[in-house]
Amino acid sequence: MAAPVTPELEAAAERAQARRGLLVSLPAYAYLVVFFAIPLVIVFVVSVFGRRNPRGATVYGPPTLDAYRKIFEPGPDGSYLVLEIVWRSLWLSVVTTIVCLLLAYPLAYYIATRTPRVRNALLVLVMIPFWSNFLVRTYAWRVLLGRSGPVTAVTSALGLTDTPMIFTVNAVLIGLVYGFLPFMVLPLYAAIERMDWSLVEAARDLYASGWQAFRKITWPLSRPGVIAGSILVFIPAFGAYVTPEILGGSKTTLLGSYIVRQFLQARDAPFGSALSFVLMSVMLGATIVYFRTGARNL
Amino acid sequence: MTGRWISRLLGLHSWAVYVFFYAPIAVLVFLSFNDNRLVTVWTGASLRWYREMLENDQVLSAIRNSLIVAGVSTIVSVVLGTAAALGLERFRWRGRRIFDGLLYLPIIIPDVTMAVMMLLFFVQVFGLVELAFGPKIGLGLATISLSHVAFNISFVAVVVRARLAGLDPALEEAAADLYADRRQAFLHVTLPLIMPGVLGGALLALTLSLDDVVITSFVSGPGSTTLPVYVFGLVKRGVTPLINAVSTVMLVASMLLVFVSLIFQRGDGKVPQGTRQ
Amino acid sequence: MVLSGVTKRFGDVTAVDGMNLEIRDGEFFSLLGPSGCGKTTTLRMIAGFEYPTEGSVRIQGREMGLEPPNRRPVNTVFQSYALFPHMTVAENVGFGLKMRGVGRSEIAERVARALDQVQLAHRSDARPSQLSGGQQQRVALARALVNEPAVLLLDEPLGALDLKLRQAMQVELKELQERVGITFVYVTHDQEEALTMSDRIGVMNEGRLLQVGEPEAIYERPTSRFVADFIGHINLVTAECAGSGMVRIGDGAEVAVPGVQGAGGKVTIALRPERLHLTAPDADIPAGANRLRGVVRRRVYHGDGFTYEVAVAGTVLEVRTENTPGLVRYEAGSDICVYWDPSAANLVED
Repeated sequence: MAAPVTPELEAAAERAQARRGLLVSLPAYAYLVVFFAIPLVIVFVVSVFGRRNPRGATVYGPPTLDAYRKIFEPGPDGSYLVLEIVWRSLWLSVVTTIVCLLLAYPLAYYIATRTPRVRNALLVLVMIPFWSNFLVRTYAWRVLLGRSGPVTAVTSALGLTDTPMIFTVNAVLIGLVYGFLPFMVLPLYAAIERMDWSLVEAARDLYASGWQAFRKITWPLSRPGVIAGSILVFIPAFGAYVTPEILGGSKTTLLGSYIVRQFLQARDAPFGSALSFVLMSVMLGATIVYFRTGARNL
Repeated sequence: MTGRWISRLLGLHSWAVYVFFYAPIAVLVFLSFNDNRLVTVWTGASLRWYREMLENDQVLSAIRNSLIVAGVSTIVSVVLGTAAALGLERFRWRGRRIFDGLLYLPIIIPDVTMAVMMLLFFVQVFGLVELAFGPKIGLGLATISLSHVAFNISFVAVVVRARLAGLDPALEEAAADLYADRRQAFLHVTLPLIMPGVLGGALLALTLSLDDVVITSFVSGPGSTTLPVYVFGLVKRGVTPLINAVSTVMLVASMLLVFVSLIFQRGDGKVPQGTRQ
Repeated sequence: MVLSGVTKRFGDVTAVDGMNLEIRDGEFFSLLGPSGCGKTTTLRMIAGFEYPTEGSVRIQGREMGLEPPNRRPVNTVFQSYALFPHMTVAENVGFGLKMRGVGRSEIAERVARALDQVQLAHRSDARPSQLSGGQQQRVALARALVNEPAVLLLDEPLGALDLKLRQAMQVELKELQERVGITFVYVTHDQEEALTMSDRIGVMNEGRLLQVGEPEAIYERPTSRFVADFIGHINLVTAECAGSGMVRIGDGAEVAVPGVQGAGGKVTIALRPERLHLTAPDADIPAGANRLRGVVRRRVYHGDGFTYEVAVAGTVLEVRTENTPGLVRYEAGSDICVYWDPSAANLVED
């Protein structure tokens, strides 16, 4: 027969339960430690302790910030190549985010204000590009914007320009917007859809014009969606690799491609690691800001 | 009156965005049936490039590799990710917060950083293995699968966790109250109820695995090229009708996955009672 | 079933504090109290979903200790019903028997009998989501009762139903309990529900069991200010003992209250509004009754009666009258006399 419960017994039962939780999580936990946390540490170690020797191999020595310093130093030709690339990645991802927001907000608003049946159909139409292969969707623009592609044919027929847009910054921008637009639409839709519309009605009742009601009620209430969507677009755009590689040219190198080049061509693992670490830190920073502001606005 | 105009503009804008979404894909699919070697010069409809694709050993081997990697990494990450979701959502234990944070990192970390991480990690591991045991091992399907699991666990866990959080905890208590032990309660009540989440997570893992270019290209070795990596290599060299055909096949595969997931979601809608709070 | 010294602490918060309670076999026992008073935690400790920090729960003479819910001879009807959405009604009801390894044919037979008992035999193949709230409630009951538990635990099971259905279910539940003879422990915050259904009631507040007794005793003879105030309407008047069974209230008027001893001490007396009577200021009143003169401040119509707020002796009393034929109505502002039999008054602890 069991004994009456004492605080010690209760604590033991809680410990047993905690052990069970740890045990259930342990396989995934261990996996992520081995195949994620340790690799992350290795990247940091290589960026701080590693040096590139003339044959392109990495040798280790006392810690140094040389790899990080290299980001701020001018190259052999005197130009600040790395900073230029970082700057280009930054403003391109910011512009991508803004364009996505401008395109997505009215669309999300439109979807959210339809009848349920229409709404679901329109949502599925957003989901399909969201789930479709990213590489293929980017490749489609290579075809469209290429030398004899349909877009070029149209622009030259209109007498605008004969130069194809491919391999320009604009091509990369179109590709990024196209690639990440669904990431903006879905959180915006979620935020607008769950909004309490009676608040807008109350505002109209209290003599707000349609525009005032939007500015004072709808927009602030949809802010969490705006923030979530912006982060979801900004993060992958800032680290983009596939899009600039396919649609960009030598003058439109972005941070992602530049990092890859350090490993596959320049064979400078310490510098590439340092850049990866910086890239990741920017993302983490952006995500933390997102959760902070998101929490404040909810 | 202005309200009418605004709502018309909204509709117009929305349909324009949909055209933006679908026109490039439609053009691509259309051109994949072009007989001409030059992609944009239309000379007649044919299935020539599809035939060529099926005769291309490299494409076929890449497809095979992709399916193996996606299958293996999906199964492993679904098991591990579902267990992680249960451990975080249903138990309190010390170190839970740290695990929670670690679980989110692979989602927000950029592909490129993750690719660098995995490459450097495997190089170190191979170096150690060679030093300790002698055999030289290299990158291949195993390293690709291991890397894909590393990011897929997190996505599966997030999806399953959302489903678990929406589940009335009283349902699991009711099972225990009705004489089910832990194992029985899990098999008969918890698992069937989180199944839509588990399947949703599996579909997401499958899609991400079939989408990945950067990480895979870093950790693949000779002969282990996956389809996206192979296509990416081709695309960098130029536009060919063959890529159009392969792309169309990949698009169709993605869309099939969307429809499968929609069917699951519909089945989901039939059990609203379990999710009420 | 016996709880002794049961305490539950969540961190610094004490949800249940040193509870001692004996529930008799076959009785309908209600745990009544406001939300957050610890009644649901108590129920969960009996079921085994929660373990006490300290104390003993004995069911049928067996100490429960840290036994998990699946090894306790009790079953629960949840507030949300917690019907398994992926199973049919029959599968839900048969779940407990299946888990205990009862044979298929016996399960079918007992499920059919249980569903019959709650008049749902015809819906045995339906899914819970296809049932109305009242039907779901009955399935939850059948699912628990089919296991023939020593004790059935019910956690505000009628809370989600609308008023009419709730009242019908109250009667039905009580009849069912009498028929099956199983001990019911019923958690509710609805005092009327507790009063109409229970054999005995335990009133809880802030983790403590304040009073246990039959409904009449709880209503008529509350021992504490909280119990008096929580159940029904009541006038609580602070008074000073004036010796020999008399107390002095407000402006100095003296009234008789049985059981008052000594002089000078402060007491609180509780008076139910329906035990007070109104009459014209100079009218005759029964011998021995307490009387106070006052002024009607307000009159509220309830359909089946009136409630008057009467200012008397420096305090305000609520008086309730039945809407009987020939009832005299008093307008606000009129002078009046309030009288009551001394036995209607009750001393309560603060």
